[in-house]
Amino acid sequence: MHGPFRWSNKWWPGVIPLVILWAIAAWTGTAPLESDLAGESNAALKDTVLDKIGITVAGRDITLSADAFSEDGRRSAVASVQAVPGARLVNDETHLVPEAKPFVWSAERDVVRVTLGGSAPLPASKGRLLEAAHGSLGGVEVADQMNLARGAPARFDSAALLLIDQIGKLKEGKITISDNMVSLSGMARDLGGREAIAAAMKNLPEGFSVAVNEVKAPPYIFQAYKDPVAVTLTLSGYVPDNSVHAAIAGAAERKFFSEKLVDNLKASLGAPSGFAAAVVPALGALSRLSTGTLVVSDREVKLSGDALYDAAANQIRTGLAKDFPQGWQLKADLSVKPPSAPVDATVCQQLFSELLAKGKIRFESGRADLIQDSAGLLDRLIETALRCPAANIEIAGHTDADGDDASNQALSERRAQAVIDYLVKAGLPADRFTAVGYGSAQPVAANDTDEGKAQNRRIEFLVR
Amino acid sequence: MAFLLTFHMGWLVGSLLLGLAAGWIAVVHRAKGVSKVVSRWLAALALALVAAALTRIVPGRPGYWLDLGLAMFACYLAGCTLGSSLRDWVLSRHAPAA
Repeated sequence: MHGPFRWSNKWWPGVIPLVILWAIAAWTGTAPLESDLAGESNAALKDTVLDKIGITVAGRDITLSADAFSEDGRRSAVASVQAVPGARLVNDETHLVPEAKPFVWSAERDVVRVTLGGSAPLPASKGRLLEAAHGSLGGVEVADQMNLARGAPARFDSAALLLIDQIGKLKEGKITISDNMVSLSGMARDLGGREAIAAAMKNLPEGFSVAVNEVKAPPYIFQAYKDPVAVTLTLSGYVPDNSVHAAIAGAAERKFFSEKLVDNLKASLGAPSGFAAAVVPALGALSRLSTGTLVVSDREVKLSGDALYDAAANQIRTGLAKDFPQGWQLKADLSVKPPSAPVDATVCQQLFSELLAKGKIRFESGRADLIQDSAGLLDRLIETALRCPAANIEIAGHTDADGDDASNQALSERRAQAVIDYLVKAGLPADRFTAVGYGSAQPVAANDTDEGKAQNRRIEFLVR
Repeated sequence: MAFLLTFHMGWLVGSLLLGLAAGWIAVVHRAKGVSKVVSRWLAALALALVAAALTRIVPGRPGYWLDLGLAMFACYLAGCTLGSSLRDWVLSRHAPAA
């Protein structure tokens, strides 16, 4: 041995205090070293996308357990921990999260809460969905039952966010994404909610489509009540829009010749198709009742009340269903009003005059076909005629002065006869009535204004 | 290693100083030295431990303690070498004729 190593055989005594020193260093240094490494590792993983991160440090060996969402993400996470200064070994216990096939996500609403379930692709998107649910649902409780899984379709987040907006429009129901198919079921919160959801489904991101949309709307209700005491017709519920509203109100004005119209209708989306085409004839049927209620609920029409005479009840039952558009149903619950006490001929004449002063029997322009709107008035006239069975009645037709006399004469006669035909069909004996046409020979107003002409075009009932 | 150096600077410097003292004393120490056979065995043991540390076959905390021990021991040896050289040099200057 040369140099300082000549003495190396006598260096051993210092090893004893060295071992003591080492023991103290190990005793005091291990815990701080481990916590330092754990802190550094956590910091290194801050920007990686992982779930259920677990870091345990033994000495300088780091065990990393985590769920990763891609192979690249998993590798880069392990590499960042390996790069932590001081790390000796990294035990890689990371896994890829399972792949969901099909990738199913759902949002379910019941009375008290909204439950988000199924799979979400990343912790960040899960957080976004929860936040959006809290935001769009106001105070409703949001329960999170989402797992994380790989295999989400592209643009999953924006599709799910759009659907979370829709769950707010449901009273109860479920929206599901399965791969890129969307299914919806349940009951809309408001009238029009179903339509709003269907419209929103057009904004689904590219690649997504609606497989099933079974969202139901609350029943679309329209009601009309004919009150014989207050002499009013009350309309309530919904109509699709202002033009239908105007059409229905106009029809009600024409059909209910003596009642005052109380219009409480509101416009709302969600009307069943053929709404106006069903409601207008149903109002016509109601106008023929002495008292009655019309309830239209979706495509079901319930008409209840008292018809003025037997034949009217039958006509309404059989005739109204024929007038309805396809898919509409009639439930008629009609009884017949007990006949009023008989009166003598003079009173009968007075009643006829009162009725015809309030309303007019109308015909198609230039023809002798009765307009449906007059059915209510005709029923009243028939009921009155039934009260004086002994009286013979002349039905007089009059026209305005437009056109030549011969054709006016013929038209007035044909119109008077049309009224008689109607009365006979209602069960009155034909021999009680005579049809007389006066043409324009007996005007009740000057024929130089439209108003005057309208007054002159008339049918009169004269008890003989 | 750089991390160990900075994290355990105090302990390593302590080992170095301890080695310096041991080396300083060793030159004039009259105690019995370690025999050649034993020192070879000790060297072999040290080499085995170094090999174990480099291959990282000892896991967890024992592995860390092994690294730490070897680092301290290396500093100790460096201290010893330095201490003995200094003492040797000092002595040779005072008694050049001997």
